[in-house]
Amino acid sequence: MTVETSATTRTGRTPLPDLLIVDADVHVHESPGALAPYCDPPWDVALRAVADVPERYLDIPGFSPGGDGTLTARFPTAHEATRMVHTPEQMVEELAAIHVDLAVLFPDHLLKLPVLPQVEYAAALARAYNAWLVDRWTSRHPALLGAIAACPQDPEDAAREIERYADDPSIVAVYLPCAGLDPLWGHRRYDPIFDAAQNAGLPVLLHAVTVTSPVFPFNNHGFDTELARHATSHTFAIMANVVSMVSTGVVVRFPELRIGVTEAGISWMPFVCNRLDKEYLERRREVPFLTERPSHYVKRIYVATQPIEEPERLRDIVTLMELYDGDRTTVFASDWPHHDFDHPMKLDQVPFDEEQRRRVFGENALELFGIDRTGRRR
Amino acid sequence: MTDVVVGRLADFPEGTHRVVEAGGRRIGVFNIGGRLYGLPNRCAHQGGPLCEGRRLTGTLAADAAGGWRPRWELDGEVIACPWHGLEYHVPTGRCLAMPEIRLRRYEVAVRGDDVYVSVPDRRG
Repeated sequence: MTVETSATTRTGRTPLPDLLIVDADVHVHESPGALAPYCDPPWDVALRAVADVPERYLDIPGFSPGGDGTLTARFPTAHEATRMVHTPEQMVEELAAIHVDLAVLFPDHLLKLPVLPQVEYAAALARAYNAWLVDRWTSRHPALLGAIAACPQDPEDAAREIERYADDPSIVAVYLPCAGLDPLWGHRRYDPIFDAAQNAGLPVLLHAVTVTSPVFPFNNHGFDTELARHATSHTFAIMANVVSMVSTGVVVRFPELRIGVTEAGISWMPFVCNRLDKEYLERRREVPFLTERPSHYVKRIYVATQPIEEPERLRDIVTLMELYDGDRTTVFASDWPHHDFDHPMKLDQVPFDEEQRRRVFGENALELFGIDRTGRRR
Repeated sequence: MTDVVVGRLADFPEGTHRVVEAGGRRIGVFNIGGRLYGLPNRCAHQGGPLCEGRRLTGTLAADAAGGWRPRWELDGEVIACPWHGLEYHVPTGRCLAMPEIRLRRYEVAVRGDDVYVSVPDRRG
């Protein structure tokens, strides 16, 4: 990155470069060839077989099928939207350029893990990714923290993976993939994952990506454009899973479990809170395990900012956050290096008060991930 | 204003662009149809390196006269920011998604074989 950004100079404000910035969503690039040495047989053979397949963005047959934007006519553009980070050195340098102090790493291709129909292959991929992530990334630099991928196709194996890394100081979360997920994360089949995460003291972080599949809410074939699919895939998936996890009682059965959601912006939160509370008046008997109104549980969920909405009145962002009492649950995320990443400078244009600003950029994330300001687990 | 030499004319073949430094500023110099244009290398959206987009392209437009069918236009005159894809029409500096935004345009002149960009004098 070669662009300079000027530090905030508003009176009484800590300049952005001096503020603690924890980034709740950053992506490493895992290629099939890189994961192969970490993968159990026979699946390592399959990874090597696609290691040389020319790659489009998040689109490798048999690995991450059906790329973002591969459905629409492809006109030429200077916006290539294919940034990737291949090494910890590259990541540390690029994050420093946007003033990020600590970053939680997510995959690129494995955003689509749930669409793979072969259970044993999907589980082997998740195990290979986790081993590779710790060996090649989080153990290499103290600013790089990891989220262990939980394979939804094999919840028992995912629980074992969480236990395996529970005491690794560089692992601070469990990544719950949402793209093409069926059933939604509220289903009881996933309880071993939540149980393991709660016991390990690790939060679960939901992350979706744009895919087109028959599975709700990714049955988005009715849309003509990537604008429509991309605008809805991430947010609808997070809304669907939050509603699922509240309405099946995950939030009650695992009261100590910290839950975070990424890449959905924040403006859906007031809607979900208000709508669920409205329904609850009529249908409480369907969710008798809830002892409080649904919004009580929704508001305990940590919400990552990216892609932060960009209304003309930036004050609206503060209002939105206040509508879900998000002072202590809203956490900054950049989504670096993806095409729709947010520079912290953008969020810093929002007229937060200084305490809100400190909390959103870093301190709330310390609570979510259970870490101190150097990234060490507490 | 000061005219700063930023290269030789042969450095800017038709249909290409480069980012140059002049008067402490990074400026994209574009050769479109034999005419040179200068734009700041900074996107008005999140400050991305606008002129480092690798190629000039056209874009899609539609209007009532064309039955709202898309047509390819402005071929070779549009740059998109590599950060988030915001498009600008280089000859006018107009941002296509936010027409109220128009980038400043630096005057680019050719004298002999040299290319000059006109930039404000540095203060103090």
